[in-house]
Amino acid sequence: MLLNLNSLGAWKWILLAITGATSVFLLLPILFIAALSFGSSQWLIFPPPSWTLKWYQDLLADPRWLEAAWTSFRIALMVTVLSVLIGLVASFGLVRGRFVGRVALRALFMTPMILPVVVLAVALYAFFLRLGLNGTTAGFVIAHLVVALPFSILALTGALEGFDKSIEDAAVLCGASPLKAKILITLPSISHGLFSAAIFSFLTSWDEVVLAIFMASPTLQTLPVKIWATLRQDLTPVIAAASTLLIVVTMLLMLIAAAVKKGMKA
Amino acid sequence: MGWLQDTPSAMIGEAPAKSGRDRRANRRLRKVMAMVSLAETADGRQAPHRRRLLPRGLAPTLPALVLVLVFFVLPVLALLTRSFTEPVLGLQNYIDLLGSSTYLKIFFNTFFVSALVTAISLTIGFPVAWALAIMPKRQANIVFAIILLSMWTNLLARTYAWMVLLQRTGVINKTLMGLGLIDQPLVMVNNLVGVTIGMTYIMLPFIIIPLYGVIRKIDPAILQAAALCGATRIQAFIHVLLPLAAPGMIAGALMVFVMSLGYFVTPSLLGGTANMMLAELIAQFVQSLVNWGMGGAAALVLLVITLSLYAVQLRLFGVAGQEKH
Repeated sequence: MLLNLNSLGAWKWILLAITGATSVFLLLPILFIAALSFGSSQWLIFPPPSWTLKWYQDLLADPRWLEAAWTSFRIALMVTVLSVLIGLVASFGLVRGRFVGRVALRALFMTPMILPVVVLAVALYAFFLRLGLNGTTAGFVIAHLVVALPFSILALTGALEGFDKSIEDAAVLCGASPLKAKILITLPSISHGLFSAAIFSFLTSWDEVVLAIFMASPTLQTLPVKIWATLRQDLTPVIAAASTLLIVVTMLLMLIAAAVKKGMKA
Repeated sequence: MGWLQDTPSAMIGEAPAKSGRDRRANRRLRKVMAMVSLAETADGRQAPHRRRLLPRGLAPTLPALVLVLVFFVLPVLALLTRSFTEPVLGLQNYIDLLGSSTYLKIFFNTFFVSALVTAISLTIGFPVAWALAIMPKRQANIVFAIILLSMWTNLLARTYAWMVLLQRTGVINKTLMGLGLIDQPLVMVNNLVGVTIGMTYIMLPFIIIPLYGVIRKIDPAILQAAALCGATRIQAFIHVLLPLAAPGMIAGALMVFVMSLGYFVTPSLLGGTANMMLAELIAQFVQSLVNWGMGGAAALVLLVITLSLYAVQLRLFGVAGQEKH
């Protein structure tokens, strides 16, 4: 009765109204930012008096924004590669190993995901002060790797658990070396896991704010740090333009992910 | 199976590898033999014991383990230790932290906002998850796409949107004044109202998605049975649907509450300096005051609360994603 939309009576309309309103609530700020980024008003008046591309021109003409975007991309790419590699190897051990404390080890690998990131940021900041890693690319990559790795391990252990190991054994029996069997048989079979591990790792690093604020130096900062620093001064429409570009990147990644998922089902 | 152990190995030893093909065949045979002997071990029979430096499967986890130990466990423990040793050995930092009304107000703010955000998210999230679970697939997918889009949009972009929307001259104030509902613009930024709205926006998906999964799994026949037994909609809701969905609600609520407690970005941008929350306090101790002792103490308090709430969750619902053997 309550789990059938058509026998809900008046409740049906209440539920649908709340859902509709929530969808608008979730969507509106994003559309609003996109609209403002094309608006001519410096003071973010809405609806804008006229439309312009000025803020995008400002954004793309400023080498500091471009540099920050490039830094973000570079770091996210390195984090993705390392996170998938380390995560893949570790997942083989976690799924196929038979050692004591395997469950505890898996829980340990997940903790960076549940701990408040500000604690890790402050702790790493202190640690990197001693090692001289603050404000370096290595510092950024390590910090982001710590928070990206749990997502990678989560995706890859899931994929490996769903893979029937006897197929890999059969390849070995047919003469493949264990490594060759893993590369030619197992990896293609868990490609969806590899793919989500890569996407999650990339986005974790690309969007990460808190660790980046602590790791950044005046000469090395990621895009979120640049937005953060600008936001603390004023609400210029340039940030709306930068945010819109970020949203477009995210949407593209989401669409690619959806397309790949669909292609894999077919 | 003793004959199997002797004969083929003897055969391999006797047959000199004449060609590459032979050698390959020999190698293959040895592999088969290795597998047979492994199978024998499983049978409980004697097999040549292979010495290993590490238990099987532990070695591949080492890179990840080293990373987590060196760049996660060690720095966090070092930070927490400093709360007991700087500036002097003892509990002075904790006495200061929990004894001052300024800091207690920050703790109160943190708990108050987190509880409020959790309550609002649950109140809105439950009907949405319910509707999603029974809506036609096509419409449900549209709503899901919106939820995922908002979830995946950069955190700063979302917070910026709310800073603009909620400001004095923002769209919301203008609309409300245009409708004649208010005379004066409402103050919604640099206070806890703004923080609550901005955080609810971020946390809603974290309630809706798990709750959707829980409601989806409830068998509609149970509710039909309730109806057949004469239950009204409200009775069925209170006595059947709500209890069945309760585990999902509690799990989602705990998660949102814990995440809110440690949130940094949104409270500092929408809350202003006068309405600090715990995560900002930790950052401020370290960044502006360079007081590592107090910073570590505040971090420890946050960690203890976070981990105890996770322990409650594990106790109630078991380890999420635990192996299904």
